[in-house]
Amino acid sequence: MENALGLSGGQELLMTITIAITMLGLIGLALALFMEKRWKLTYNIEYLFIAGLLVMAYYGDWASTSIYKAYQEDLRVTEAVSGKFVEDAERDKKFDRILTVVTFQWGFVFITEDDEISRNAAVVKPGERVLFKIVTNDVIHGFNIPVARITAEIDPGDVRELWIRAPDTPGKYLIQCVNYCGVGHAQMKAWLVVLNKDGEVPTAVLKNGENSDGA
Amino acid sequence: MAHELDQVRTGAAPHWKPENIIGTISLNTLLFSNDYRHIALKGILTAFIMLALGGTFALIFRTELAVPGVQFLGARVYMTLMTLHGMVMVFGFLIPLTISVCYYMIPKVLGTERLAAASIAQWSYWILILASVLLIIGRPDFTWTAYAPMSLRVGGSLVWMGYLAILLVAVSEFLAGIVLWANAMTGLKAAGSWSKLPMMGWGAAILGLLMVVSTIPLGFIGLGLLTDWLEITAWFDPARGGSVKFFLYVFWTYGHPAVYLPFIPAIAILYTLLPRILGRPMWSYWSGVVAFLLLGLFAMPIGPHHFQPLYTISGWYERMIQIFTLLVFIPSVLHVFNWIATIWGDPIARSARNSVPFKFMISAIAFVIYGGATAYVNAQIATDSDFIHNTYWIPAHFHAMFFGFSGQMAFAGFYYLYPYFTGRMYNQKMANSHFWLWQIGLFTKITMMFVAGYTYFPRWVYDYLPLKEWLMPQMMITAAGYFIGLGFLIFIYNVVRSSTHGEPAPDEPWPVEHDNDTVPAPTPAE
Repeated sequence: MENALGLSGGQELLMTITIAITMLGLIGLALALFMEKRWKLTYNIEYLFIAGLLVMAYYGDWASTSIYKAYQEDLRVTEAVSGKFVEDAERDKKFDRILTVVTFQWGFVFITEDDEISRNAAVVKPGERVLFKIVTNDVIHGFNIPVARITAEIDPGDVRELWIRAPDTPGKYLIQCVNYCGVGHAQMKAWLVVLNKDGEVPTAVLKNGENSDGA
Repeated sequence: MAHELDQVRTGAAPHWKPENIIGTISLNTLLFSNDYRHIALKGILTAFIMLALGGTFALIFRTELAVPGVQFLGARVYMTLMTLHGMVMVFGFLIPLTISVCYYMIPKVLGTERLAAASIAQWSYWILILASVLLIIGRPDFTWTAYAPMSLRVGGSLVWMGYLAILLVAVSEFLAGIVLWANAMTGLKAAGSWSKLPMMGWGAAILGLLMVVSTIPLGFIGLGLLTDWLEITAWFDPARGGSVKFFLYVFWTYGHPAVYLPFIPAIAILYTLLPRILGRPMWSYWSGVVAFLLLGLFAMPIGPHHFQPLYTISGWYERMIQIFTLLVFIPSVLHVFNWIATIWGDPIARSARNSVPFKFMISAIAFVIYGGATAYVNAQIATDSDFIHNTYWIPAHFHAMFFGFSGQMAFAGFYYLYPYFTGRMYNQKMANSHFWLWQIGLFTKITMMFVAGYTYFPRWVYDYLPLKEWLMPQMMITAAGYFIGLGFLIFIYNVVRSSTHGEPAPDEPWPVEHDNDTVPAPTPAE
């Protein structure tokens, strides 16, 4: 699925690097323990390692920054530093649907542009680009849509804007809070409802990840 | 053997003679003596009680989590157990255990033969006991991070005890920092110069400095929460004009160095034990020193990677945090490389291969590689905003580092010290069972937490949806928890039983013997 933050892009490589360096370290340790031949490693090898790490750190910083910048490009976030929502009609036109989200102890409220209020369900059409404008009215909350691969933390006094591309398959997808926000935290869930072609709420089962068949 | 090594910057005079301290100690001596062995033993034994407590809490809530749905724990009790598990394990078990093992080793390794500022260490211990008692009575349910304003709005009239406990923990750790710094300085005097200071001394100096600097913000958090709750001040509650951002920045100014508080002593223990058990000096002394310095330096500014400061998230400040966090790789890899290169150089002695501390050390190195390398994606804002922020990926990372590395290194240190304070050896078979049960349990638990995190299992929930990608990992984490619990029971039985029934320890409990040695190496004259 097209999503700027999706692991299908540059992040797949980052995960590969992570697994590769884990394996490299463990193989090095295993060799040190079990190999027959022994010799003193030279100090140059360590310098080589540091050079490799610097390249890795540089690449990690570059990859992360460019992925996140590309994601935020469409949001025009600079204005939001002031704690107010971005007032930009041009920007808003890029999205098929804009939902204002109020998070509270314990639940989510989704308000459409027509001021229709839904408690705990964000109703969208397949493949739509959806903009979420999120605030919290009490404590720190989290906002996570597993299928869209996006996680955010919302602090009181902040406005937070996120966009996703809705899944193509109609169904009910999980939206959940991931920051501990009090005893009701585990119940703080909502649904991303992707309507079917007839504009009806699908009877399909609950889905989390894209490849999940539900339970 | 140890004598020769002590010349090569692993310590001054040996002073390593097994004696039965634990069998002849009186309760009064154990509780109030300022002898370094008594203070360290008291800290170690208390830490094991804390581990038993924290582990029991974990097993209770892991049992609840094994299958979806509510079995026997409600939200409040679950969160109380979870909060106490976190606080007891970090403040009561990990930090005190690693530091107590260091207290035991510092006077021997640095050749000072006494713990400097021992009365301050005594205060540090008793203040921590008071904090623990307050925590257990107060039963807070606001998690160990106590994020305001949530932590100010939880129920119960005893919640103030939780805030006070945080303040007392800060005072206790601050005092421990002074003790460590004072000992590093007396060790420095004994060694003559920094370049002759053993790695344990470097570790104590940097840890002491880090503790003194970083616990001040934690004390402010404890005090601020208390006065906010009493409505004297309004630091953190936005409803009354406070700032959540302020809380987050102050808290994580302590919170990130805090994870190094058990990490640095664990590294120092490794640097002390590895040459002794292998019978050869470290591969590089200065590489280790530089790594210690860099680790201490990078620890302070990178706290904000624990939360998502809004919209500065792609600004220069957040990017700087990201770069510094990625650079922590350098000191960590310098350490790991040094350890592997030390093992690499010569054949491993038969005595080392058979010794339990060595096994725990190797496993600890493996876990620091596992948990550390995966931090490559933790450090990056893009991946953090994808699947990492507050999913199970985070507990997987810190259980690998806290328990897999720091905890297991403390146990390596404990097994190493065992003959020195009981005069007897532990039972090898039981120690091996303990080791393998823990490896199976830890590896399974941590890997399954990574899997659960990768599929967006949220932290801090007592109930979850029956999604099929979550069922197997949750069941396996619980099963792994029982493996660890069983290993701990065997460990405790071994420790208690062997202290009276174990084989008497020889004068040199850790002789270095190679396969081709026909006669044991002679004990060096002192």
